[in-house]
Amino acid sequence: MNDNEVLIKVENLHKYFDKLEVLKGINAEIRKGDVMVVIGASGSGKSTFLRCLNLLEEPTSGSIIFEGVDITDSKIDINKHRQKMGMVFQQFNLFNNKNVIENMTLGPIRLLKQNKNEARANAMRLLERVGLADKAYAYPSQLSGGQKQRVAIVRALAMNPDVMLFDEPTSALDPEMVGEVLDVMKQLAREGMTMVVVTHEMGFAREVGTEVVFVDEGVIVEKAPPKEFFENPKNPRLKDFLSKVL
Amino acid sequence: MNFLLPISTAVSAVAADAAESSGSDNFFSGLWNSFEKTFIYQDRWMFFLNGLWATLRIAFFAAILGIILGFLIAAVRSTYDLHLRGKKSRNFGHFMLKVLNVISNIYITIIRGTPAVIQVMIMYFIIFANSRNKELAAVLSFGINSGAYVAEIVRSGIMSVDKGQTEAARSLGFNYPGTMFLIVFPQAFKNILPALGNEFIVLIKETSVAAYVGIAELTYVGNLIRSRTWEAFFPLIAVALIYLAIVMLLSFLLKKLERRLRRSER
Repeated sequence: MNDNEVLIKVENLHKYFDKLEVLKGINAEIRKGDVMVVIGASGSGKSTFLRCLNLLEEPTSGSIIFEGVDITDSKIDINKHRQKMGMVFQQFNLFNNKNVIENMTLGPIRLLKQNKNEARANAMRLLERVGLADKAYAYPSQLSGGQKQRVAIVRALAMNPDVMLFDEPTSALDPEMVGEVLDVMKQLAREGMTMVVVTHEMGFAREVGTEVVFVDEGVIVEKAPPKEFFENPKNPRLKDFLSKVL
Repeated sequence: MNFLLPISTAVSAVAADAAESSGSDNFFSGLWNSFEKTFIYQDRWMFFLNGLWATLRIAFFAAILGIILGFLIAAVRSTYDLHLRGKKSRNFGHFMLKVLNVISNIYITIIRGTPAVIQVMIMYFIIFANSRNKELAAVLSFGINSGAYVAEIVRSGIMSVDKGQTEAARSLGFNYPGTMFLIVFPQAFKNILPALGNEFIVLIKETSVAAYVGIAELTYVGNLIRSRTWEAFFPLIAVALIYLAIVMLLSFLLKKLERRLRRSER
């Protein structure tokens, strides 16, 4: 099996919204270099699970151990640990009042204390990789959805994170723009980035996932490498789900 | 007068002349007379200038105080709404936030629920009863009043910024204050500028209430001269025109600022 070090270990994670229990005890391990793809019906808790990983949602109970530190502990400085966890959102969430290069250098300059030139050079390098160097001085309102999402990805990468969390990164995109974003993500996976991806893109899961998990009613009901996951699903709910989406 | 005209026409001409001279000469000389009484006699235009200066001073410092108070209150209220609404406080910081939120709510309720003129009178006759600093009483009173309205405007601005902006900044590792100052406030400010401008226009005109307690600002001066000259037209119209000019200038500047801020997006 994989003997790489465990990057994120989730133990018995529970999350309530008021009285509604959304996560009912999730256990998971994400190892360095893994691409964990999380799928499930809407309302199953998969996005909540992802958002708990960097504490955007505060877990009600359970622990999340990231690089050896339990980040659910209220005594730790979560902001320090978040710097190491990049996140990409369904709605892109680029800073509307800043242009592309400012979006990308704000964190590195303010938080990582990089000097301005270094941060800009690094941002330009990343923009070239995703084919958007010519948009460095554009504002978010001037970009297409696909371009926004690619910028959002490189904005997170500019912080040099150890893991990237993707929350349905292609769900808000027009169909013809899905490909350009998935290409960037595939390239990232091939370069060995550790990723947790909540998505409905089964092709992506099959192609680059190292592990696919199915979340249903707040628990992980199936977890397997993609080949086995798609060809030989065991859980009846998963079989039903796959028959609908494939 | 034409003495060669027949009597009957001459009589009617006299009547017409008299009517004309009292109608126009008297009217214009009367007008000049009251203008002279209002502005020139004893250098009364200086009164207006001093009154204007006092109005601008009071409005300016009250606006500054209003902005500071408004931002603080708005920060407390929106932080509370985002983090603590409906939750149990778990530590001392949460407890303090809860207390501050209650104080803020009481402040807004009282200030918005009572007339500005009563607030000025309370400040002037009760709190500043033993002080000679009339203008400070006015500045504090209008600043505290404006702060309540600014607070609600700023809060609406903070709420108008998409939650995703905050989440993106937090996910990069920015703390809550950093997120507010770098990401949320600049966008909120752009959204609330028209409402904020409106509030300052209201504030400038509301300072006229200070005349009620005898602070020598513009309205007071206009009324004072009206009572000395027994002429209402020039003092009151002049005061109205001066307020109008200030407000028009302010609106012009605000529109310019708004346009400049919008430019960064397009």
